[in-house]
Amino acid sequence: MAELKYVGKPARRVDALEKVLGTAKYAADYRLPGMLRARCLRSDLPHARIVRLDVTPALQVPGVKAAITGEDFVNHGNFGYPVQDMYMLAHEHVRYVGEAIAAVAAETEEALEAGLNAIICELEPLPGVFDPEEALKPDAPLVGQQPWDSPTEPRGNLLVKHIVRNGDPDPILAQSEVLLDEHYSTAHQEHAYIETEAALAVPWPDGNGVTVYSPSQSPFNDRGNLCRVLGLGVENVRVIQPPVGGAFGGKDDQIYQTTGQVAKLALLAGRPVQMTFSREESMIFSYKRNPMRVHIRIGADRSGKLRASKVNLVVDSGAYSAITPFVAWRGNIHAMGAYRYDACHVDTHVAYTNNGYTGAFRGFGNTETTACIEQAMDDLATRLDIDPIELRLMNCLRPGDETAHGQPLGDDVALVECLERVRRVSDWDRKRREYGAANQKSSVGAPVRRGIGVACCFHGISLGAEGADFAVSTMQVNDDHSITFTSGLTDYGPGSRTVFTLIAAEVLGLKPERFHMHRPDTDTAIASGPTVASRATVMGGNAMRITAERLNSLLHHAAADLFGCSLVQVLRDGELFIGPQEEPVSFEDVVNHAREMGLMLSAHGRWDAPSIHWSMEDGTGKPYFAYHYGAQVAEVTVDTGTGKVDVTGIWAAHNTGTVIFPQGILGQIYGGITQGLGYALMERVDFDQGYLQATNFDEYLIPTAVDVPDIDGHCVEKYFSPGPFGAKNIAEPAMVPTAPAIVNAIFHATGRRIPDLPANLERVLIGHDLRQQGSDRACKLGLKHA
Amino acid sequence: MERFSYVRAESIPHAVTLLNTPGVRSRVLAGGTDLVLLARENHDLCDRVVDITLVPELHEIRRVQSATGVAGDTVTIGAAASFSEITASALIRETAPLLAEACHSVGATQIRNMGTLGGNVANAAACADSLPALVCLDALAHVLTPSGHMAWPVAEFVTRPNRTQLPPGGLLTALSYLVPAPGSRSVFLKLGRRNAMAISRLTVAALGRMDEQGCIAEIRLVPGSATPHIHRFARTEAHMLGHEPTAALCEEAGQVAVAEMSEITGKRWSSEFKEPALQAMVTRALLSLFGLIANHEEAHA
Amino acid sequence: MKIEFTLNGHPASVEAPADISLLHLLRDYIGLTGTKEGCGVGECGACSVLLDGQLVNSCLILAPQAGGREVVTIEGIRGADGGPNDLQQNFIDHGAVQCGYCIPGMVLAGEALLAKNLTPSRSDIREAIAGNLCRCTGYQQIVDAIEITAIDRRGEARKTEVTHG
Repeated sequence: MAELKYVGKPARRVDALEKVLGTAKYAADYRLPGMLRARCLRSDLPHARIVRLDVTPALQVPGVKAAITGEDFVNHGNFGYPVQDMYMLAHEHVRYVGEAIAAVAAETEEALEAGLNAIICELEPLPGVFDPEEALKPDAPLVGQQPWDSPTEPRGNLLVKHIVRNGDPDPILAQSEVLLDEHYSTAHQEHAYIETEAALAVPWPDGNGVTVYSPSQSPFNDRGNLCRVLGLGVENVRVIQPPVGGAFGGKDDQIYQTTGQVAKLALLAGRPVQMTFSREESMIFSYKRNPMRVHIRIGADRSGKLRASKVNLVVDSGAYSAITPFVAWRGNIHAMGAYRYDACHVDTHVAYTNNGYTGAFRGFGNTETTACIEQAMDDLATRLDIDPIELRLMNCLRPGDETAHGQPLGDDVALVECLERVRRVSDWDRKRREYGAANQKSSVGAPVRRGIGVACCFHGISLGAEGADFAVSTMQVNDDHSITFTSGLTDYGPGSRTVFTLIAAEVLGLKPERFHMHRPDTDTAIASGPTVASRATVMGGNAMRITAERLNSLLHHAAADLFGCSLVQVLRDGELFIGPQEEPVSFEDVVNHAREMGLMLSAHGRWDAPSIHWSMEDGTGKPYFAYHYGAQVAEVTVDTGTGKVDVTGIWAAHNTGTVIFPQGILGQIYGGITQGLGYALMERVDFDQGYLQATNFDEYLIPTAVDVPDIDGHCVEKYFSPGPFGAKNIAEPAMVPTAPAIVNAIFHATGRRIPDLPANLERVLIGHDLRQQGSDRACKLGLKHA
Repeated sequence: MERFSYVRAESIPHAVTLLNTPGVRSRVLAGGTDLVLLARENHDLCDRVVDITLVPELHEIRRVQSATGVAGDTVTIGAAASFSEITASALIRETAPLLAEACHSVGATQIRNMGTLGGNVANAAACADSLPALVCLDALAHVLTPSGHMAWPVAEFVTRPNRTQLPPGGLLTALSYLVPAPGSRSVFLKLGRRNAMAISRLTVAALGRMDEQGCIAEIRLVPGSATPHIHRFARTEAHMLGHEPTAALCEEAGQVAVAEMSEITGKRWSSEFKEPALQAMVTRALLSLFGLIANHEEAHA
Repeated sequence: MKIEFTLNGHPASVEAPADISLLHLLRDYIGLTGTKEGCGVGECGACSVLLDGQLVNSCLILAPQAGGREVVTIEGIRGADGGPNDLQQNFIDHGAVQCGYCIPGMVLAGEALLAKNLTPSRSDIREAIAGNLCRCTGYQQIVDAIEITAIDRRGEARKTEVTHG
């Protein structure tokens, strides 16, 4: 293959300049003349019937320009995907603390406050459900509206079920030489993007439409919802994504409510309307990563060969579905880990409760299940007295293997390479021996012990069976010879904008500085599904490659015409086009000639993911067209006197395929691992009777720069032929193995398993959590700070 | 409509005058890290804030020679000295390293630049990091009112979480401590849920000295975030005083400290964790203090 | 009340209530939105500015406290040509920027450190930025950028380019 010029070379992120200068404007930074501020009245009860709601007194307050309820939207503002159970503003019931009931737009902060206080809102408390297993019992109070109820299958609070069925594990488990039967749990996690949600709606001068500036990950989903609830056509709604201050899956679903609210207020008031959020309000009303309770049974031979597995997942969706049915599906598919089994069953149940609500967060179900299955594998390794990496090498998926779902894998599988790389670079064998030996010795006072642990993962690429999976990109050469392009996929931090630029530059043989990506805009881009599932590089990158190839072809035709030669005689030297007479011609001259020829120098390209199929009823199929693989080793010190864990080293090897943007891919590895470290040790959203106990960063702790070590990140660049230039992805899988690697290291140091995450001070020191009596105080105060 | 007005003190007497204007509820504004948060919760906190942070005398860190020459010198720290100023002070690092470490363990760069020692003492949060170190130093809190100067040992000045003996209209002007006798060593350990910007789960401040016979001539031990009132653990100190410091003695002292804590607090929701953790931290602090294990340089447990 | 201070090297004079934060003054009264609000309680550092050269959380500083003093925000950090200075360019070059929301605070934290210490260890750098939360980058490339700037400002040759994978 020819030496690549831009792909894989150190590159500058294309949108970094405005960010380091502080000139990048995020949604909350916008200021327009006549702009109104808006805020919601929110529920301070976890479950209640709305007995009376009247916003007309708010409109009497001087300075208040609009006030709305759910009835101001088409069909009560009902929306939601894959289950349409959400509302722009609460309809008849509120189902979680923080749910929006009404919204007001006003000229000043004081008028806004007075307007909200003037609203008449009477709530009748209803019994709440705060535990997903309790919620699934037949006599549990109902949380939602059971959208899928039928007379023959009443579902109560069961939102959805998923299964995997391969063979029959029960007889195999019954006869296993070694049987592991353990329970694990993970907690809610808060996205904690440093930018809280915000949106600005600007009504059009003709009064017929509205533009919304919204940091949502998926502007087309946003537009679709707005059209539905406002009763407007797509030609009358425009959604533009400004720079986004972090999302990680968290700026979907709820952001559609915010944009719907500001859009409606703006259309009523005839003025721009902006809604911003304090951290407390954001933490209270926004969705979280779902907690899971995981029951794992694995049967193995004494030699270490895995035979069968049975996994049960119970997932708390909270009050609304959001994307949790798909999160639970991905968790369901990955729950058994990246291993071969003779038989495997997974059963997943998702319950409605009144604990806030849950939705997408990096890893999307796999972060949760990998945290559990990788602990189980570590436990097995201990019981079998086999090295944890050895046990994984014995059983992990290799090229040509069949997954536990019955899917034959291709030759892109590189899990063994990842495991062997981290084993080598972390100095695993020596440390397992030495730390293990040191930990046997007694010591004066409570000593600090060292441990090293490993975890690995697979992660299905892109949407899998969730829906249609394609991406579209467009590109054109402008009059000034600059090149602009669009993608239906957006860049809210991970760096896809730069990846697309480098791909385009490589294909066209032109410097990256010539390319400019349009701000994501539903008027200029073409819908490509949501920007989720770590799909931007493969899906969007391929679409970009096709688009650039088409434009390149047009340019080559023009050059051939200019040289009077055949197409194959046109050569390239850097940016120059060289003809048979070896006369070099600049890109600008080729463009000018193309124009003279009457050629349209624009192109678009679409790439569809290879087909997959999954049978929900049978629990078998090909759930994803390919998988990412990764392995991480974590080294910790554990203070056995206090339970304090410090992570002193992390080595990560991920099967990223060809690296397109080196600094970007490393940034994603370091960032994902840091979120995983928080998930392992200190992050826990604590609900008590539906009330969040921590509503700001003083009590919801995420890692600081002194909590995270220097990370040694490696990319196993095994060529992935479906991907652009052989690239796969990284965004979510970077986080997936981290927490179990750390928890396994804690076991190595202390001999204590931590099946319930996070491994906080109490769990590490005394083996279980301690909780203070909870209260509604933080929420009540936080909702005042909105 | 402003919730409160702002005025800046130019000197200590000016500050006291401003704090005692009849009919105006005034509060001291120092670092603002506590006050601004309180004002966020309570919109009727006061009528006026009096900014004392630009009074130069309130930042002074000085060594005052002993008048008699018998008792030691005193170090006084202006109440508006920031945690950063204290951490950087060669005088404090030399005479009371545990106080420098305690101040260094607070928050992170920004909070240390803004937060003041006086603010930390006057706000008297249950987990305030400077308090165990100050009590360990038997420090005094100096207050000026229109009637004159008053002083209390910090251990008496701070009575309960968020409660001090500060009289209405009084201004905390300085903290002071007697320079510990030559040969004294000190230790400050902090346990938090992460390594910066962490509320202390437990802290231990300890100071001690041995005599020529190798026995403990002086020992002061102050756990923080352990009991509602921050004070020296006299029983634990008594257990050690006069004895040769050994690993066994330090472990026993850890157990006595736990008993001393439990006697005051009874069984609380956190006791199952705090008891073993305090025991480990006290033992470790004492082992470190008397050179039986390597010194802990960081202010972490 | 009238608040007069030096902002990014120039005199500023603003009429504003006494009870608002410096952050609010900068963003809403002066219109400099480069300084961000991330939490409002001094925990995340996104609102960091330099006050008389000291790194502080502007969400916890009352606006009148700036009176007569020098405030530097991200808008005041520029190279001689008005573009990025060396630290900012190193942030761009070394992958330190992802979503960008924490970056103004991080740049100021970096400047505050380098003003005091041109030989920081990586551990010193981490401690200097420990009050600035980042959710995207895992901090490492930010530390790289500050470390390389320190080397550059000392006038030393860079030993190796920051390695990539």
